[in-house]
Amino acid sequence: MRDCKIVSRNFELPNSHTLAVCKAHGGYKTLEKLGEYSPLQIIDIIKKSNLRGKGGGGAPAGEKWELMPQNSNKPSFLAVNCDESEPGTFKDRQIITKDPHLLLEGILITCYAIKAKHAYIYIRGEYKQFQDILQGAIDEAYADGLLSECDITIHRGAGAYICGEKSALLESMEGKRGHPRLKPKNKEPEWFFDNPTLVNNVETIASVPFIVQNGADAYRAYGTQKSPGTLLFAMSGHVEKPGVYEAEFGTSMMEYINHFGGGVKGGKKLKALIPGGVSCGVLTAKECENLTLDYEALSSVRSSLGTGGMILMDEDTDMVIALKNILEFYHEESCGQCTPCREGTGWSDKLVGKILDKRGTKEDIDKLLEIADTMNGKTICVFAPAASTVIVSFIKKFRAEFEAKL
Amino acid sequence: MSEMIDIIVDSQTYKVENGSLLIDLLIREKIKVPYFCYHESLGADGNCRMCMVEIEGQKRPQIACDTLVKPGMEIRSTGANIEKVRTNILELELINHPVDCPICDQAGECSLQDFYMDYGLHNTKVTIAQKVKHNKHIDLGSNVMLDQERCVLCARCTRFTDQITHTHELGIIGRGDEARVSTMPGRKLDNPYAMNVVDLCPVGALTSKDFRFTQRVWFLKTANSVCHGCAKGCNIYIDHNIMKYKDDVIYRFRPRRNDAVNGFFMCDEGRLSYKELQENRLISPLLNGEEIDEKEAIVKAKNLIEKCKNEITIIIDANLYTEEIEAILAFAKELGARVCSPKEIYMDESFQDDLLRCANRAANAQTIERLGIDTNEPNPSNLIINFNHPQDFKATSLISFLTHNRPCSGLSLPIAAYSENEGTLTNIDGITQKCEKAVYKNKPIPTILEYLQKVRA
Ligand code: SF4
Ligand code: SF4
Ligand code: FES
Repeated sequence: MRDCKIVSRNFELPNSHTLAVCKAHGGYKTLEKLGEYSPLQIIDIIKKSNLRGKGGGGAPAGEKWELMPQNSNKPSFLAVNCDESEPGTFKDRQIITKDPHLLLEGILITCYAIKAKHAYIYIRGEYKQFQDILQGAIDEAYADGLLSECDITIHRGAGAYICGEKSALLESMEGKRGHPRLKPKNKEPEWFFDNPTLVNNVETIASVPFIVQNGADAYRAYGTQKSPGTLLFAMSGHVEKPGVYEAEFGTSMMEYINHFGGGVKGGKKLKALIPGGVSCGVLTAKECENLTLDYEALSSVRSSLGTGGMILMDEDTDMVIALKNILEFYHEESCGQCTPCREGTGWSDKLVGKILDKRGTKEDIDKLLEIADTMNGKTICVFAPAASTVIVSFIKKFRAEFEAKL
Repeated sequence: MSEMIDIIVDSQTYKVENGSLLIDLLIREKIKVPYFCYHESLGADGNCRMCMVEIEGQKRPQIACDTLVKPGMEIRSTGANIEKVRTNILELELINHPVDCPICDQAGECSLQDFYMDYGLHNTKVTIAQKVKHNKHIDLGSNVMLDQERCVLCARCTRFTDQITHTHELGIIGRGDEARVSTMPGRKLDNPYAMNVVDLCPVGALTSKDFRFTQRVWFLKTANSVCHGCAKGCNIYIDHNIMKYKDDVIYRFRPRRNDAVNGFFMCDEGRLSYKELQENRLISPLLNGEEIDEKEAIVKAKNLIEKCKNEITIIIDANLYTEEIEAILAFAKELGARVCSPKEIYMDESFQDDLLRCANRAANAQTIERLGIDTNEPNPSNLIINFNHPQDFKATSLISFLTHNRPCSGLSLPIAAYSENEGTLTNIDGITQKCEKAVYKNKPIPTILEYLQKVRA
């Protein structure tokens, strides 16, 4: 397996979060190159690199950047999404604690390209201690004059998962409840107080300096044709060495798990795996056997790559308990706007609880599938469809375990 | 206005403005589609997910409130597929809803109840004990009571205080099935239009303290009328009923939609002004405060008028119907009387706002002006005949036709209030509107027109 550290290249250095160490290892060098390119040329490089959003959706970043007006009489903004709250996902916090200056460098380049003079980093409320490190880096950058033309402000969320959804994030930044907005009818930027705004994930932005420094082709040298570059894949659950390890897209899943994670904990057998945070459908060990880690491969098994944070479950895992655990999360975190989601997440959680209590019936299992169907594709945002996918995949793939508890 | 296009709904073609909201067409054409959160005055919020329709060429059902019509669109609003979707969403809506319509004040005018009859009829799958519990008796302020358990979280009420009154008292707190409506910390619902949230609320979550539990709505009879609170002339429904062995009583006013005048709303003061119509009414003729018989009173009035001919001043309340004002003018002409309608007393700058309320508190002031009636104070005069003008006047003799009891010397005769009579009014913007007779008293009080006939006879 090829070693490829694009975002994590400085992670192991002592004091890697400081400006001195960062600069000593080439940090902020890309800014010197900015003079060579116009904003539109930067966007072009990003488009050519086919950089895909690393917050879960995997949408091409360049296309989003292109939606930002270059000549607007309104100010443009960048909002960096650091509301990392999906169970199984803890990659962005590596960046903001181990190499925050890489993120700041990426922000400066991005703001140059979209002509923004102010960037916000929306950070989840629970990340206070990581936020302090990031703020330290921002203070250092201000003192060094790096932020003379572009301000960077951290906006701390109050602990709602849904604020990671980009329009809810902006609602929250505007001081309102974090409720996802209705989708626009045409392709357009996001809006922050009615001003055009680009929302990108931390890792996406942290990938930008490498691409601008080394060119689109250098980035595309990693990964696959459709999923180029690398991702901070991660492992948690029943694995020997849980953690975040960067790898290129297209890497074999099992090889990754064995190489970085040292295999399933205690030498047990793998039973199931959730590939990229709990909004992705669960996979059986068999489905994982020949799987590669890229968007296309995961969608071919009707799941998704998500954030690349894999949760491993060994042979002794009770899949009903596992689903209950995930549904408690959905029940707690639905923003409560849409009827199917508000009521469906709660009811399905209760129904699985009933099955666990040995009070369940066959009708309850069917009802779960029916609720999942009502939650799928009928809501404002993709939270409810994600919950739906999880319910359906657990029941379809492990139905016997549910029936055994009736 | 943009171009008109054809779209097909359930195999029928409709002409509609390109790019307009599909749900507006469905509502206008009375094509059945269930919905809670959309409201023409508040726009789309897309949260209830009830207004699903099928659109040809789209894999999934779509919400009509967030669909802009395009040429050639083909919509299906009925059929097994879409009805199944609605049924399933409705079942989720009901999972935590108390299903005790018989003791809910909204029963009979509740969207949830109606949709349940159309699409629901599910068997109960959860027990009451399993439902999420919330607070059932919250006094939000301004006569509005909240039952959080009955709320479907359509956010109409919060959007009303955000978008219409801009007072922002209401919000939704909590997430998921713990979400509920609440006032902002330390605040009460407190604005002059607050009670409109009761009408906006599609279910029994918000009820009027003034009306709740006084009547079952299906017993109420309704008449179209116009509020007499100010010269804006907000259109209203007068909801009234005659209980067994009782008299006809008004239980509430509700705003009646008129886009040219008041849209969907009315102010709280106007809404509650129905009470005045049945409080402290003058019911019998009085002579210097002593009750006298009606026939006797008419004779006395006739004599006085005969005696003071050519020295009479007639004063008209600017709240009377146009028909009444015109009849009084004709009567005055016969008597050679001066006519006026002093304006000062109606003016109240503090009442004015930029939503509906206007400083002129007389419902038919515009007609007084149109007919060129003097709006200054009257000169001293031998006989003053006052047709319900709110001011007290001094004269050697006084005849007052009054809806309400008030200390008055001379002769006072009771007249019907506007709810007990029909007629027209012209509002501040020159719009002429009709008021129906709503209330039929067991013992009707004569109208001004009836009196004029009797006095002439
Ligand atoms: S799907 Fe769920 S989380 Fe998303 S907007 Fe609707 S209620 Fe909120
Ligand atoms: S109280 Fe009524 S209007 Fe307000 S959100 Fe609930 S159901 Fe809607
Ligand atoms: S009316 Fe369309 S979603 Fe509520």
